[in-house]
Formats: sequence, C-alpha cells, structure tokens
Amino acid sequence: MTLTTENTAIVLDSTADFPEAPERYPNFRVVPLYVLFGAESFKDYVDITPERFYARLQTARELPTTSQPTPGDFLSTFEELAPNYERILVLTLASNLSGTYGSAQAAAEMLGGDQVRVIDSRTASASLALLALGVQHRLERGTTEEEIDEFVERYKRTHDLLFTVNTLEYLARGGRIGRAAAFAGNLLNVKPILALRDGEVFPVKKVRGNHKAFAEFRNRFVSTTTDSPNLKVGIAHAAAPERLHALRELVEHERPHAQVEIATTLGAVVGTHAGPGTVGFFWFLDE
Amino acid sequence: MNRRRVHELVAGARTAIEAHRRRIDDLNVYPVPDGDTGTNLTLTVRAIDEALRKEGPDDRAGLAREVARAALMGARGNSGVILSQIVRGATDALAQSDDLAKAFRSASDAAYRAVKKPVEGTMLTAIRAMAEAAERDPDLTSIIAAGDEIVRKTREMLPVLTEAGVVDAGAAGLVEVVRGLHAALTGETLPEPPELEEELGVDAIHQELSRFRYCTVFVVEGEELDLEGLERELEQIGDSLLVVGDNSALKVHVHTDDPGRALSLGVARGIVGGVEIANMHAQTQEREARLLHAVPDVAGAECALVAVASGEGNRALFESEGALVVDGGRTMNPSTADLIAAIETAAAPEVIVLPNNGNVIMSAEQAAEHASKTARVVPTRSLQAGLAALIAFDPSHRSEQNAEAMAEAVDAVTTGAVTIASRDVELNGISVQKGKWLGLADGEPVAGGETFDEVVHVVLERLLAEPRGLLTLLTGEDPPSLDELLSELAFAHPELELDVHEGGQPHYPLLLSAE
Repeated sequence: MTLTTENTAIVLDSTADFPEAPERYPNFRVVPLYVLFGAESFKDYVDITPERFYARLQTARELPTTSQPTPGDFLSTFEELAPNYERILVLTLASNLSGTYGSAQAAAEMLGGDQVRVIDSRTASASLALLALGVQHRLERGTTEEEIDEFVERYKRTHDLLFTVNTLEYLARGGRIGRAAAFAGNLLNVKPILALRDGEVFPVKKVRGNHKAFAEFRNRFVSTTTDSPNLKVGIAHAAAPERLHALRELVEHERPHAQVEIATTLGAVVGTHAGPGTVGFFWFLDE
Repeated sequence: MNRRRVHELVAGARTAIEAHRRRIDDLNVYPVPDGDTGTNLTLTVRAIDEALRKEGPDDRAGLAREVARAALMGARGNSGVILSQIVRGATDALAQSDDLAKAFRSASDAAYRAVKKPVEGTMLTAIRAMAEAAERDPDLTSIIAAGDEIVRKTREMLPVLTEAGVVDAGAAGLVEVVRGLHAALTGETLPEPPELEEELGVDAIHQELSRFRYCTVFVVEGEELDLEGLERELEQIGDSLLVVGDNSALKVHVHTDDPGRALSLGVARGIVGGVEIANMHAQTQEREARLLHAVPDVAGAECALVAVASGEGNRALFESEGALVVDGGRTMNPSTADLIAAIETAAAPEVIVLPNNGNVIMSAEQAAEHASKTARVVPTRSLQAGLAALIAFDPSHRSEQNAEAMAEAVDAVTTGAVTIASRDVELNGISVQKGKWLGLADGEPVAGGETFDEVVHVVLERLLAEPRGLLTLLTGEDPPSLDELLSELAFAHPELELDVHEGGQPHYPLLLSAE
C-alpha cells in the first residue's frame, strides 16, 4: 500500500514544540500534555502559551509539574481521524522521559485493529518535529511502511541534538537529569552542554559563559556536517530569543544551503523540565 | 450494589489515597524520580469519585463501564494509567459477578497487558500478588496482607529502590487504594499513614540540617584507645557526634567541615579504616537531592578532585563543582599529610590534585606519590588556574584523561593579580617599592603604583590584549571597590561576560582570569 498525506495521519504530542503543525499540514494533529501549577491544570499550548507560561514561572511560588495526556485524550483524536485516514502514525516523546507513549499505546489498544501505530521517537522537542517532518516529506511523494520504518531507525541513529540550560535545577527537579547529574553546581556561570541520547540526558562538556557554550555548539555542528540542502536543522529556545537568532545566523553563515525547518519556543511542558534560558540545537542529514 | 454504594466505596479509596499522597510522592524514585506518584494516583481516583457524584446508570454493567471510563479519562502519569488499567480489568470482571478472585486476576492481566516491558517490584507485582492471594482466599483482609507484604519486598526487587532505601511508590499507593475500599465496605476506620522517615532507615539521621557539610564515619583500631579523649577532641570540630566501641576498636560518626582533621585525630591513635565521607548538604537540603542520590547512574565516580584553596568564597566555588577542598590557610601551604588524608578520603579510586599555588606543587606531588590510590597532580600555580582546571574535570573519566583535559584548560586562560608588594621588586623593567600596589600577569610583575586603580588597569590591558569571552574576578579579604571598574569594563567590552565572586583569599585584594 502506498502511504500518502491523503491516507495517512501523523499524531504528535505537544512536546514536539510544533503547535502550528495542524495548520500547516491537514493530516497532522497534536495531543497536548498537561502542565500543573499546584492544583491548576493547563493543556500545553492550548490553555497556556509559552509566553504566559514563562511569565508565570517567574512569579510562581511552587514550580510546576507536568503530566502525560490521558489515554482518553489520544482516543478522541484517533476517533476523529479514523473515518478519514487508513493509517494513523503516532510519534511520541521518548518513553523513558514520559508515559505519553504508554497512554498512546493504551488508546491504540482501545481503538482496536491495527490502524494506529505508535512509535517511540526516543527524542524530544524540535527533534521530534524534525522526525515528523521527515515522515511528512516522504508521505508527500508517496511512501511505504517499510520506508518509514527505515527512515525512523536511521533518524534515531544519526540525528544530533545539543542543548544547554541556565541551571540544571529544573532537570533535576523533574527527575530527568540522568547522567548529567555529574555536572551539578552552578556558582561559576557554568553552561553544561548536554545531549539527549536514546531518551537520556547526557553530559557532553562543561564550559563557562554563553560565549563558550555558543562556540561549542558551533564546533560540534561544523565538525559533524557538510553544507547541503539535505541538512535539516531545528532550533528551540525557552525565553531566550536572542540565542535563537544567533544560532540561525550561525547556520546561515557556516552551512548556507542547510534548511532551518523549525525554529520555535519551548512550550510549557518541555520548559518545565529544562527551565528558562534553555537553547536546543538539532540537525540531521536527510539523504 | 447500586450507584450510591459504589460511590461510597470509591470515596473510601479516595480518602485512603489522599491521606497517603505526600508520603507516596516522597517514595517516588521509579521510573522517574519526579515525586508525583501519590499525586497522580490521587487525581485518578478523584476522577472516578467525581464522575460518580453525578447522575448516571444504576445497574451493574452500566456502573462498571462508567467507573472504567472515568479512571481512564482521569488517569494522570504512569502510575495513574496503570491504575486505570487495573480498574478497567477489575470492573470488566465485576460487571459479571462479585467474584473477587476473578476481579483481581482480570485487573492484574489488564495491567500487565498495558505495559510494554513489565518491570517487577512495581504496581504490577503488587496487583499480581493480590490476585494470587485472592485465588487462595478471596477475603479482602488477607488480600491486603499479601499486598502489604509484597510492598515491603519491592525494596529488594529494584536496585534503584534498594539504593534509595524505599519501597515502590506505585505499589504502596495501590495497596492503600484497596485498603480504602475495604474500610468503606466494612465501615472500619483507616490506620494513620506511617511516617516516611521510618521507612528511609539510616538516611533519616541526615534529614535534619546540620551546619556542617560532611558526614564522616570511620573505625579506629589500636590498643588502649581513649574513647572520651577522642570524643572531646572531635567535639571541637563538629556535631552529631557518636563514638562507640571499646579500648581496641572505636566507631566514629561525626558531622564536620573538616573530615581530614577528624581522620588525623583517629590516625594519631591507631589504624583507621572503614572511612565513609558524604557531603550532607548535597544530600539533605532538598528532597530532590535525596532522590538524585538514588539515581544509579550518578554513583560510582571514577575520579575525585582534591583542591587546595584559601578564602571561604573560593572554597565554596571549588566545592560547588564537587572538589574536596584542603584549606591552604593564610600561607597557602597545607602539609603533605593533609593532602594524603584528602586523597584517601575522596570518594573515588583515582584522584586529581590541584595545588593552586607554585609553592604547593611539590608537596602535592609527594602526597600523590605516597597515597594508596592513583593520584595525579595538575600543577596549577594559582586559584584562577585551578578554577579553569576545575571546569574541565569530569568524575566519570579516569585520572589520566582528566589530567590531560584540565592541563589544556589551564593553558587557555590568562591570569592576573593585584597585591601589595611585600618587598622592593625590580623585574622586567618594573620597579615597585615595598608597600606599594603591584600588578601581576601570568605570575610576572607588569605594573606598580600608588593606587589600586592604576595598577589594575595595566593588568586588565594585558589580560584583554586578545579578544576574550569571560573575565572572572575574585575579591580578597580587603576588597577594593570594583563598581567603577565594572561599569567601565561593561562599556569598553560589551561582549565580555563578567563573573565576580567574593573569594576571600588573603594577601591578594583581587585575582583575575580571562578566557
């Protein structure tokens, strides 16, 4: 069977930080996770914009927490899509970072049949969006289940993801710090350069100051890529737009043919775990 | 069974889980130590309770469907989703009959089906154990007893729980939910939730904040050991003191800022062994710290760092990046014995030593040679060089790799200092009289003068001759005012990041480094 944008829907969770996806592509849906300030619960991007979230974070007495979508949230999306699409591909946040994958699986089981396929992306944020866009580009020209499988596997193996946070406190508080706990301590204006590998936060290097963090991003980007229109790039920031611009200029200068496919703000859910000042830089070669 | 009765049972479960919510949040270290299992279970049960408050079906099948759906729609978090599957399995069976064995079995099967890779020592184990108990004897009292027993065992089933010394949060919560159902069914009152501290065992001793940083434990073996004498001396350097044993062996527990000193008191009396030193501030200030401590990946450092520093602020800077600090004192001159004690007590098989002063390099090398561990000296000649090395340190790497990376980091910084000449200086064409301001760049005199300002400007000129991204300033014991200097710098070098700390070192009102 040939899969196309006509017969195949893509469902993302809101941690892809790609809220405009359904506007851009009619076969896309986004199922929101929840962010909770105390007893108040908000649907990511639906009830709370990133701007409002970061503003509230500055004055919140207790830090927010997050929660995965309920199976019911996925189910109602699946039920809406089921009559119009033969195939529903669900790409979720890494299952070791969140139970979102489990909720989607439970909903798929409740819907029954094999119309829905849930894929654990092993990644997060704009990296998840880049993966979905890669799948979408294949649907646009017509593809097969096997080709998509192959692509997803290759993406997991070859994509690059670097990020830096202002403080490791948010990652630690949410229990997502992983091996980067070794980098704790922030009296000396330390910018930890971190990676997400197979859903786990990994320490890459510690540097002091934003200049060096930026230089480190540049080094790693330049040393692992060549200039090509197939080089796809994503940039995401949490209340740090000036760093987004700097990274965009870096890409334009160093790899002028590369495509910046997504440049976005980290939403409330990812922002809860990374904290304000976080910058993420994502790239892969879509051969 | 009608709607009202079912609602009473669910309300009982809700009361039980609400009462345990905080405790279960605190227990939560698996699968992600984010401390929300109790909250998630509570929100899930609350959703069922709230659904039943409204008008709705009153028949068995209709109620079963509604409860299952409410659980599913309200399921929050991993634990909530699994609970919703348990509820769904149970209500599937209860829609047919009151057979408890069948209900628990169906609940257990549904829970296992919902999880991609079932892990034992979790809610899954608890529901299965209760199902097995129900099949032996379908009486809720014995089912709950089986649940309680398996919850205790979860501590041994998952390494992350063993390490944290806690039982599984989800499993504990599930049993509370069942206990609540049982209480509502029989009209019994619920027992008070247990105190979490009791379950945390030995760690509980460290929950009280100590003003001292290190929990130090060791054993001294020898002859005619004087328990009281040792106690008296240890009292001078710490609190939470516990010295037990007899005149041939003493076990010591003390909270102190100077574990090296505590150990030397032991060494003076006999052979010291069984040394354990833990940084309690990292452990106890926050619950998060305790949970972090339980993440297995963090444990097992390959390499530790020992650094010589003077000044309270500088000590804190080195400690913030995990170094064990040996106080250099006013002369920056710790004894080789102090350094050996620090190397031996550092919590890793290999150690890097940062002397942070030209005069300490020799004794650091002596200490490294005589220590029982592999120790390497990165010959840093200043505190500023030491800070650069500090950032390049990675505890998960071996000492050889660390030494290389740290030496490279030291090469990348230029250091400066402003002090008062302790004698007449004549070097590099600079002549400074004793008692006047003296400026150094990379250890060499570059300026002399009557005022701090004129000297610091020459030093800065040297440091910023090449384009630099970050300037670090450490103020000393009698710090000069830097306000004007800092605003000048911000104006002249808008791209330069400034990092100013109260270092507190003696003799040098200002230390600088640029990178």
